[in-house]
Amino acid sequence: MPNGADTHCPYCALQCAMTLTPAATAAGAVPAPEAAPAPPLEVSGRDFPTNRGGLCRKGWTSASLLRHNGRVTEPMLKGSDGVHQPISWDQALMLITAAVKDTQQQYGNDAVGVFGGGGLTNEKAYLLGKFARLALRTSRIDYNGRFCMSSAAAAGNRAFGVDRGLPFPVTDLDTASVILMLGSNVAETMPPFVQHLQGARDAGGLIVVDPRRSATAAFTSDGGGLHLQPTPGTDLALLLGISHVVVHEGLADTGYIEANTKGYASVVRSLNAFWPERVQSITGVPATLIRETARRLAQGARDGGSYILSGRGVEQHVDGTDTATAAINLSLLLGLPGSARSGYGTLTGQGNGQGGREHGQKADQLPGYRKITDPAARAHVAGVWGIDESLIPGPGLPAVELLKSLGKHDGVRCLFVHGANVVVSAPDTNAVIQGLRSLDFLVVCDFFMSETAAEADLVLPVTQWAEEEGTLTNLEGRVIRRRRALTPPPGVRSELWLMARLAEMLEAPSTFSDDPQTVFEELRLASAGGLADYSGIDYAMLDRGEAAYWPYPVGSTGTPRLFADGFAHADGRAVMVPVTPSKRAVRSFADDSLALATGRLLEHYQSGAQTRRVSELLASQPQARLLIHPGTAASRGIADGDYATVTNERGEVLCRAELSNSVRPDTVFLPFHFPGQENANRLTEAATDPISGMPEFKTSRVWVRKAVSTQERVPAGTRLPLHVKEAS
Amino acid sequence: MSERIVVVGFGPVAARLIDELLPAVRSGLVQLLVVGQETEAAYNRVMVAELGVGRTTPEALAMADASELEADGVEVRLGVKVKRIDRARQNIVLSDDSTEHYDRLVFATGSRPVIPNLTGLNPDPSRPVLPAGVTALRDLQDAAVLRAAVADGKRVVVLGGGVLGLETALAASEEGAQATVVHNGPFPLGRSIDRGSGSVLINSLRAGGVRVAGNARSTGVETAGPGGSFSALLLDDGSAIDGDLLVLSCGVRPRIELAEGCGLPVATGILVDHHLRTYHEPHMFAIGDCAEVRCPDAACVDCRTAAGPSGLVGPGWRQAEWLAEYLMVLARDGQAAADALEALPQEKPGVVVLKARGINLAVAGDNQADPWDEELLEAGAASGRARRQISQWADPEHGRYVKMTTRGGVLEGLVAVGMPRTAAELVVLFERSSELPADRSLLLRLDGPDQLDAGATSNDPQRTVCRCAGVSAASIEDSVVEGCSTVGEVSKATRAGTGCGGCHGDIKGIIEKHFQAAAA
Repeated sequence: MPNGADTHCPYCALQCAMTLTPAATAAGAVPAPEAAPAPPLEVSGRDFPTNRGGLCRKGWTSASLLRHNGRVTEPMLKGSDGVHQPISWDQALMLITAAVKDTQQQYGNDAVGVFGGGGLTNEKAYLLGKFARLALRTSRIDYNGRFCMSSAAAAGNRAFGVDRGLPFPVTDLDTASVILMLGSNVAETMPPFVQHLQGARDAGGLIVVDPRRSATAAFTSDGGGLHLQPTPGTDLALLLGISHVVVHEGLADTGYIEANTKGYASVVRSLNAFWPERVQSITGVPATLIRETARRLAQGARDGGSYILSGRGVEQHVDGTDTATAAINLSLLLGLPGSARSGYGTLTGQGNGQGGREHGQKADQLPGYRKITDPAARAHVAGVWGIDESLIPGPGLPAVELLKSLGKHDGVRCLFVHGANVVVSAPDTNAVIQGLRSLDFLVVCDFFMSETAAEADLVLPVTQWAEEEGTLTNLEGRVIRRRRALTPPPGVRSELWLMARLAEMLEAPSTFSDDPQTVFEELRLASAGGLADYSGIDYAMLDRGEAAYWPYPVGSTGTPRLFADGFAHADGRAVMVPVTPSKRAVRSFADDSLALATGRLLEHYQSGAQTRRVSELLASQPQARLLIHPGTAASRGIADGDYATVTNERGEVLCRAELSNSVRPDTVFLPFHFPGQENANRLTEAATDPISGMPEFKTSRVWVRKAVSTQERVPAGTRLPLHVKEAS
Repeated sequence: MSERIVVVGFGPVAARLIDELLPAVRSGLVQLLVVGQETEAAYNRVMVAELGVGRTTPEALAMADASELEADGVEVRLGVKVKRIDRARQNIVLSDDSTEHYDRLVFATGSRPVIPNLTGLNPDPSRPVLPAGVTALRDLQDAAVLRAAVADGKRVVVLGGGVLGLETALAASEEGAQATVVHNGPFPLGRSIDRGSGSVLINSLRAGGVRVAGNARSTGVETAGPGGSFSALLLDDGSAIDGDLLVLSCGVRPRIELAEGCGLPVATGILVDHHLRTYHEPHMFAIGDCAEVRCPDAACVDCRTAAGPSGLVGPGWRQAEWLAEYLMVLARDGQAAADALEALPQEKPGVVVLKARGINLAVAGDNQADPWDEELLEAGAASGRARRQISQWADPEHGRYVKMTTRGGVLEGLVAVGMPRTAAELVVLFERSSELPADRSLLLRLDGPDQLDAGATSNDPQRTVCRCAGVSAASIEDSVVEGCSTVGEVSKATRAGTGCGGCHGDIKGIIEKHFQAAAA
């Protein structure tokens, strides 16, 4: 049917443009019976401002999943023997309807929950929010973006009155002379983005804050810039130290502050206690580097442009919102946001991490980035949906709380999971698995038998990116089109179709279309007048290649750059909120514990549910490896390549050690893409930021030792056979 | 009626206490009166020397805003002194003869500079009248005096080789004054550091333009300058050090006379227990420089080794935070609940990091032992406790020196000069009582140029040239051998260079190398 398409990569928020064309099949080639089928489409990079034709390995190999052997192509019901068996869609829909009704009759409407994902299209994310509230009649909906963007979002809303990851096109970075990257490793997470750092590198102005000498931090060598290597959990103090220097050395842009902000005086007072030498004692970053950073940022703001970009490294903490706020305060002191050649932004991670956080997938939110507690917002959305406002439930629970409530009294008993693999990606996964197993009914929509799908009573096969139409909103707040290049396998359905059928069976009010364009037209109306206003955007203009940045009210031409005419608070001013590190006692490490930071590898995306099934990527990074400093390893008798156990009160990980002086001696690093005994999130704690609900992913306290027994080395039930089968 | 807390003193420690109590004031749980002797609300005293050399502004030093506090319901009385305390009636009597009642009283009176006993200086410590051209360095007025001298490029003599003295002399020198440090003993920072670091430090000071007069015992000041102002510091060997301004940096002494005057037990500071309560008077407290935590229990192990007030602000802030919580619990839930709070943990020995541009120095703990100094190494090593160990690095030619004193692998003392990364790591390790890597030289190499190198260009054919697409040098070479002669062609054949484009130069290099070899 379709003959290829211009679309975008299925993975991260850079949304690199790509063209898919039908693959040429080698005549007469007979694939070996065990081999994976050849990809039906060929991927090529397409020129676009974010990626300029570039793709990384994940993008290049993305088509190999479309006809992958492991693909789920029929609804699968788990039998009493624990084995999933195919059933018909009609049966599946009946089962779900019955489960929802039974659960709600017994425990109330909020006993049914929905867990969404930041990879879903705008249309799906929007409809999922509506489906939860009107068809399932529950407040219990949240999504995995809570683990990614929530802290930066909360800080952005508090300071600017709006949260758009980059409030400027990414190409603005090209001319910057200084870019401060806070806990972001783009060289691995979105490699084509690195092109936009070249100008700053050439100017010697790339400054990377990361406890690890990441691939991005390594760009600062040879005159590229500076690498600041704070001990984990001290980013906030470091930012206060840099801000302190800005204030005390007279580097602040007082005219800008006077005209555009409020709260300056209280922030100055709060910074006083963080002089560079004191901050050095807290962070391990030499005072000279703290001063140098402040001066370069100020110099850049005057001369060529300075940008501050934050990433998950500084945000995924229990004080993530305050840390992002400290970064914003620094940018406001320097007069960056809203200026022509400088700015502040956060780098959104998931493919639709931006759009996915705008249209009602969040527990406290309605479409258009509206608050669910705001009466005017409720009235507007109820009007668009053609229902009585009272039918919209109130705010639900943020992701970590939602997961903690699974199977509990007053908790969720029946859960829908869409585009998320919480068994790998949520904090404290052992507890998450227990929660999932205590559910009365678990429905998981996925294209593969992910680790979470494997726990499900019912797995529903859904379309992949190249098989569907829709829109996503990239890290710049630009709305882009995803286009269908391939007919999905016969048993596979779109989630829009699923929600429309279920809404019908559950006798939901309002209407539920399974056509993406129709859903988008409704989203336009629902978002109109909201912060994230899409009302002026339609498929036709996107198909013409127009660059549509929200807010894009009807009759406007969109907003490539926010804040040029002030901030989104009523008085037009940005709010500077004083923040200080929490008074949690400085942790003693006297007992030879180490700080565990989790993170990513270039070859894998998120929980790895997709990329671990791409043979080329798996071959390159087949397993989790614990990065450990040679000195730290030596005192534990661990040699390069040895198996090591990483333990704490929540769980244990067994994996190979890789010795590297790229990590600090007090820190170990473990990628979180891997399941089972290599799953880093067995060790992370479900403690959350009080404002954003963001969990702590970067400073778990762990003990590392050499694995001793051979049983540990080849444990029963290892995931390896699965890989071997699927990857071969 | 909610209870009334009176805070005597309005320095940085009092400011932290008030900040922490603000929620309770706003909610009406407590009433709060703060009395400050200076006319300014709290400011950051730690940076007074920076202000004195013009590196910051008085506005930037503010740590509290009186009118904002008043808007929050805090009573603020500035420019008045507490004359005495009537413990029986629970009243304070102010210098304007008004009285104020208290339910709880917190001494945050801080400390005052020590005025040395020199001929020409009034020895009365509580009312020193200093001649023109002689100043301590404690408040904004002192900073203004120094500022004027530095701005005019005057000769500044700093008496005292402590941290503040060194910081002042270095900064003044860097900002254009001619600075001399006069200290007793063979090197500055006397008891905190050892001979090796002391020698390197002196060299570094001199390299920074500071004159250093060691082993000096000063006896008096000469006031032969214009209008009877300071002209020289006189030493006991009969010599004199000429100058235009004498900065007295001879340490500080807790301000305890108010507490002493109302009969509270004092030692160096006001004696308080682990709940920061004064002896026998549980509704009076002391925090910060004026407080000496040493409980009345003679058997208390912590207090046997407790030192007096450290003069550092960090412990004071921790006390303020702890006391605020105690006072709030007390007001809300009563005495039993407050007493159930965990007592304030004992402070570790303070870490000093010299606030200086030209010199990097960090020092903490005990640094007196040398690697083969059996007596000192064995000290404290009894009943299974490990003995001390020393690791040391000295490179005086390049101004670098490090000594780590450990017990069981954990730092008991550290001193690092001229090695910023090493110093920063050691301080973090010390603060956290973390075990050092067995190979201590790892810590010394942090400042080495090799640490900054991401990956030297290697000729390993299996090395990854294009990270984005994961393409090795060998694959690129193969594609060149098979006919690719441009970066574009190589990209098409191998995907190398199709991500961030950062490796285009490397690919070009491989192509050129191939064709050069072919031509040769």
